[in-house]
Amino acid sequence: MTVAMLLAISPQLVLSFGLVIGLLLIAWRRSQLSIQLLTQVILAAALMFNFKLLSIEAIQITPLLKVDHYGAFAFMLIALSSLVVVSLSRRLLISTTEVHDEYYLLILLVTLGASVLVISDHYASLFLGFELISIALVGLVGYIRNSDLAVETGFKYLILSASASSFMLLGIAFIYSQTGQLSFSLSSPVSGNEMAVNTHFYSIGILLFFTGIAFKLSLFPFHLWTPDVYQGSPTVITLLMATVSKVAMFVVLIKVWFAMKAIGGGQHESLSQLITIIAALSMLAGNALALLQTNVKRLLGYSSIAHMGYLLIVLQISSVKNIDFAWHSALFYLAAYVLANISIFTALIISSPQNDVYVDQWKGLFWQNKPLATLIIIAVLSFAGIPLTMGFIGKFYLLTFATQAKLWWLIAALIVGSGIALFYYLRLIFVLFSSKNKVISNTSDLIINNGIGLKITSQVFVISLIIIGVLFGLFPDTVSQYIVSH
Amino acid sequence: MMITIMMAGLIIAGIFAWFMESVKKHSARWIAIYSVFGFFVFFITSIISSPLSFSKLNVITRLSWIKSLNIEYALALDHLSIVLLLLTLFLSLICILVSWQEITDKTGFYYFNLLATFAGIIGVFSATDLFLFFFFWEVMLLPMTALIAIWGHENRHFAAIKFFIFTQVSSLLMLIAIIAMAYFHFSQTGKISFFYQDWLALNMPIDLSRYLMLGFFIAFAVKLPSFPVHSWLPDAHTQAPTAGSVLLAGVLLKTGAYGLIRFVIFLFPKASQEFAPVAVLLGVISILYGAKMAFAQQDFKRLVAYSSISHMGFVMLALFSFNAVAYQGAIITLVAHGLSSAALFSMAGMVYARLHTRDLNELGGLWNSAPRMGGFALAFAAAAFGLPGLANFVGEFLSLVGAYQVFPVVAIFAALGLIGSAVYGMLLFQRCFQGPETSDIIDLSPRELTISASLFILLVILGLFPNLLFTSFAFLGGK
Repeated sequence: MTVAMLLAISPQLVLSFGLVIGLLLIAWRRSQLSIQLLTQVILAAALMFNFKLLSIEAIQITPLLKVDHYGAFAFMLIALSSLVVVSLSRRLLISTTEVHDEYYLLILLVTLGASVLVISDHYASLFLGFELISIALVGLVGYIRNSDLAVETGFKYLILSASASSFMLLGIAFIYSQTGQLSFSLSSPVSGNEMAVNTHFYSIGILLFFTGIAFKLSLFPFHLWTPDVYQGSPTVITLLMATVSKVAMFVVLIKVWFAMKAIGGGQHESLSQLITIIAALSMLAGNALALLQTNVKRLLGYSSIAHMGYLLIVLQISSVKNIDFAWHSALFYLAAYVLANISIFTALIISSPQNDVYVDQWKGLFWQNKPLATLIIIAVLSFAGIPLTMGFIGKFYLLTFATQAKLWWLIAALIVGSGIALFYYLRLIFVLFSSKNKVISNTSDLIINNGIGLKITSQVFVISLIIIGVLFGLFPDTVSQYIVSH
Repeated sequence: MMITIMMAGLIIAGIFAWFMESVKKHSARWIAIYSVFGFFVFFITSIISSPLSFSKLNVITRLSWIKSLNIEYALALDHLSIVLLLLTLFLSLICILVSWQEITDKTGFYYFNLLATFAGIIGVFSATDLFLFFFFWEVMLLPMTALIAIWGHENRHFAAIKFFIFTQVSSLLMLIAIIAMAYFHFSQTGKISFFYQDWLALNMPIDLSRYLMLGFFIAFAVKLPSFPVHSWLPDAHTQAPTAGSVLLAGVLLKTGAYGLIRFVIFLFPKASQEFAPVAVLLGVISILYGAKMAFAQQDFKRLVAYSSISHMGFVMLALFSFNAVAYQGAIITLVAHGLSSAALFSMAGMVYARLHTRDLNELGGLWNSAPRMGGFALAFAAAAFGLPGLANFVGEFLSLVGAYQVFPVVAIFAALGLIGSAVYGMLLFQRCFQGPETSDIIDLSPRELTISASLFILLVILGLFPNLLFTSFAFLGGK
């Protein structure tokens, strides 16, 4: 283990170290403020250590881990999202008298799990990261025990995670049975690998593995849990799930997939056809189901299905030399997706102390609180892929990738899906502009309607998110320079 | 630089107007009109004093924008875009004047959106990097949708969503074609490029260019609009506030025609020539169908909206006739329709401001109390049905003459549209201003008189001296 290797995994080391410090801090003094501050410091430190890694050459660290700049970029997204989640959590936890030490530790665990996933190069480390995320998240989604939906949500997520893990384990076992190795890239090729990666068993193994990930990404036939868990979880935790978990799962999926392609695997026509179908159905079903939702969190849950469907496009690489562009497109889209999610969930959390927000509650928001409404507009436009936002550039990358690879059916599905999506995205925006409806009593629950302005820190945060959103949308090079290597 | 200054200036003026309205009431409209007028003058003087000759596309700004895909911020002008920009700026003034008293709610934000739409349209007419063109194409849509959705009439949300979805979905097809073109350039030259002039130099195989042409064609046919994809237009025009209708009919439809000329016909000459029979047929169907539908309407604005479909059919017919006379006819029709439909929509706005109805059944006999208004309405209706002496006549006549040389049968059917337009034009005037008097209204105010008179004078000038549109370029630039 050289110094360079240690530096390469320093973000993970910082997080693990931070977890221990956190536990010691709890033993020494229980205070919500100090544990929150500590978590923020740890995440910021991890981000700082990660910054240098954004431009490194790939380093293999033991057979288990391989750090490259793609993983580092994904970690940046993950750590930033966690930082936002931690910073927004105070509002959630202020309501009860307990000291919520374990809450912050669980968030750190999720982040650690995700950070292991994005640098894993081996099914063992992958499984470790996968379970770390799942188990910690189960604790978090039902964290507010007194809420009506906590038990249902927690159980749904637990059962889903368990079944996803078991599918995945079976898949990994199948893959192992054919190749005799657990490393993604089969770095020390045994004879007959080329044969091994094209057997039916191997393909089924990959498919089962894909199923496990697909549960977590809530792709089409495995999406049923999404709206319920999105709705039932505390809103900040929904944000954590929508960003950290999705980014890590997707990154590890493309890692496995591209590694398989690079060694000439996955030649079975049916495998890529199946993924095309799942992608297209996710786009269509996700958007169609979101159409009539009135609960904003459920709506976002359904729309996330569609977004993950769009992202699956990058799996269909025609040749190995497209891998870099596929990474680029995927990471840029994920960055845009994360930013849009952070924006809209921030608005959700700030605009209402309740766990549920209905579309109608945002009626006339623009005329009462312009920054907050502008933030929502930019987030929604970004989801819809309209210019001025990062989401447009992300969608442009995906379309460029798809055109280059001649994926006409996926493009058709994407266009139809986006057309359907516009319908509910525009409704979300129009609601902000419609004149305020006095009949709905819930409206008075909105903090911003009480005549009190936002706190100055929230105000600054909201405005900086707006600026970041437009800036990255107009000058995407500021983001993509970190993805393009060297 | 001048285009960049204008766009940035309009946005800044919009923000300033939005801000000032909350400080001092009614200041937004003054800021808007002064800034647009200033940029109008600025544009004309900088064109005249420009050392460049604009007889062919001349790049005036070119900066690198998104390096990873070699996307540039590139703007260029030629005679076509200058004509359309002048039309845009002139109608922008009309737009502000017609909203002078109509908009009383959220005024500051209204003028911000209006100015932002102008800026987006200016971008569309001058972008030569196709990514940038697409960017503006979408950006102008956002404030326009806001104008419909916030200040529109009773059914505004539906109309705004329909407008947005039609344009957005069709433009995604165009985006695919743009990307495919860029990659075709990559496969030919080893360098990815979205730059229009680079694309002109490409030698496209005909089968590929057929598909790509279609991608562009659909997007522009929706915007124009042409027959099977026109259904967003009557709703959007009817529900929009008056300035929105003026802008939609006067300028936004022209972006579709502009796109057809620049990005369909010039980029894919062979493929469009092959496609011409279909396009011409769509044009004729639009002419006749639009006229028939206009005849059946009970709503003032809806009638004018359907007549726009009919007139844009002439443009489509003329453009795809591939004939120099028809091409000139198309350009004149574009400008003339921009002026005459803007005039009719302003008229609708003036009637609505007085009686709060657009229903022709509830109108009638307005001539008695408002003869000046009636006179102008008659003149504008006459312009719309192509009375000789007014600009529309020249445009439609030249279009038909040109088209007849290539597609005689089709041109004969298209000429029937002229009769149709006379029928619905007279019907509109008659049901509104003649017959038993229904209500007593105030005649045109000085502001409304300015709007009507300036539009009318331009229609007459262009009707008598249509060559001004082409020869006046001899004085522009190139010094």
